[in-house]
Amino acid sequence: MAKAVKILLAGEGGQGVQSVAEIIAEAANEEGREALYIPNFGVEQRGGVSIAYLQIGDEPIGAPKFQTGDIVIALSDRAVHRTRQYVGPQTLFVYDSSIEGVEDALPTQAKKILPIPAIEVSKNELHPRVFNIVIMGAVIKATGVISVEEAKKAIEKKLGYKFEKNPKLRELNFRALERGMELVAQAI
Amino acid sequence: MPDKPIEGEKRVFMTGNEVVAWAALVAGAEIMYGYPITPQNEIMHYWTRLAPKYGREFLQTEDELSAGFTTVGGVLAGRKAFTATAGPGNTLMQEPMSMAEAMRLPTVVVIQQRGGPSTATVIYSQQEVTMTTLGGNGEGLRIVYSTATHQELFDYTIKAFNTAWKYRFPTFVLGDGYQAKMRESLTIYDPASRGIELVEAEPFLGKPGVPGVDRPPTQLRNTYNVEEELYEVLEGYFKDYEKIAPEVAEYEAFDVEDADLVVVSHGVVSRACKAAVKELREEGIKVGYFRPITLRPLPVDAIRETASKARQFLVVESANGQMARLLKEAAFGCPVEMLSLFKPGVGITAEDVVSRVKEIAG
Repeated sequence: MAKAVKILLAGEGGQGVQSVAEIIAEAANEEGREALYIPNFGVEQRGGVSIAYLQIGDEPIGAPKFQTGDIVIALSDRAVHRTRQYVGPQTLFVYDSSIEGVEDALPTQAKKILPIPAIEVSKNELHPRVFNIVIMGAVIKATGVISVEEAKKAIEKKLGYKFEKNPKLRELNFRALERGMELVAQAI
Repeated sequence: MPDKPIEGEKRVFMTGNEVVAWAALVAGAEIMYGYPITPQNEIMHYWTRLAPKYGREFLQTEDELSAGFTTVGGVLAGRKAFTATAGPGNTLMQEPMSMAEAMRLPTVVVIQQRGGPSTATVIYSQQEVTMTTLGGNGEGLRIVYSTATHQELFDYTIKAFNTAWKYRFPTFVLGDGYQAKMRESLTIYDPASRGIELVEAEPFLGKPGVPGVDRPPTQLRNTYNVEEELYEVLEGYFKDYEKIAPEVAEYEAFDVEDADLVVVSHGVVSRACKAAVKELREEGIKVGYFRPITLRPLPVDAIRETASKARQFLVVESANGQMARLLKEAAFGCPVEMLSLFKPGVGITAEDVVSRVKEIAG
């Protein structure tokens, strides 16, 4: 029995880590796989590091949170500091290469550390608003938890109403997904 | 107006709070009374979105005391009424639920436990076990289901209404902040499609016939002048409760027959314990899994039987021994040694349980 893949996404409010986790979880569920997603939440309404715990497997998922992720993605300075505790010897640690001054904070025990220029790519090549879709592409390429087709279907389901008004947005989002996958493919 | 909220069955992926709203809807709940508190807010949010489509009602009250008493009032009017709360709201809810105990009213309350004491965290705990099972100035004449998955949250919320109206004891569904906020898949269904018959609600007052002549008079009291009068009523209640307890009590267990150590947990923590026991078994370690589904009444016979075979119980909970206290009473006199893994207000993973078992095994 293969164990569930454990994914941890962390970033600032507004970076969309929760919606990425939710879309991937729903896509996995659509594929007939077992998925469990839980956000962290506290009394603060804004300002904290936003963390999403996501697990995808073929058997019912156990505890909703976990100690060590298979892939941990940190999208801000504070997120790097906050997520170190979830990194073990088997963890792929991904962070955005534009985050400065975190060299000393990067986890030392990770299996592999992967900086990707997701913020830069979304800003310069695409649109800052599809940053989270770039991240989504990176996650599915690194983990293989869902297929590209299912990922696109899930994006369509979530944003289809916007695409109807402006079909260019569909193209932009799908391009963002593919770019995210490429970034990981190149880095690996 | 659509006839049935769900036709047949449907696989869905949603949060536990949404699950509760759907379950209450298909269970035939007619009104929810509520006051917002994290992490159960979305039960109210979903209910207020769904209810008007099916002719159901909602009333937001000024606090949980009021939400509890209006739920009592709704039930007295013969309606399937429910409320949901958490933490300090559950504390306030104990006063109206004591009244429901006194009058034997089938109130349904969904609890999504958060950290305690007081405001503590809005996130998660299993620290409302003592309060939910034995709260109020009474004897705990209530029924408490502790759920572990979204499927159970759906199944047992439906069941809670049936249990309450069948046996006339206040009934609680005990979830937690994790179950409230996480998303996972489950199958929601029309109870009739599974052969589940819904127990009908009926008014307590204004029944046909002359009281004392055609039917026994309806006595709805929470006040007594004389000690002996209260004693007599309570004796009757205890007898009723004792009689129904074996019928109501539920548990889940596996690998307990030859186990040296049995891991005992409830609610969401049992998911971690289940995974841990399976993993340890694969390594050839003789461990078992036991989980009471009803925390009140407890499955006493099954606990005692398990406690007579196993050498050790490892009690695992996100509280400082609230379930352990109930277990010790149930297993009193059994030679089992009670060990613990308590993390009050903090989640427990399978890794935590595995390493504690290995530490005990030495």
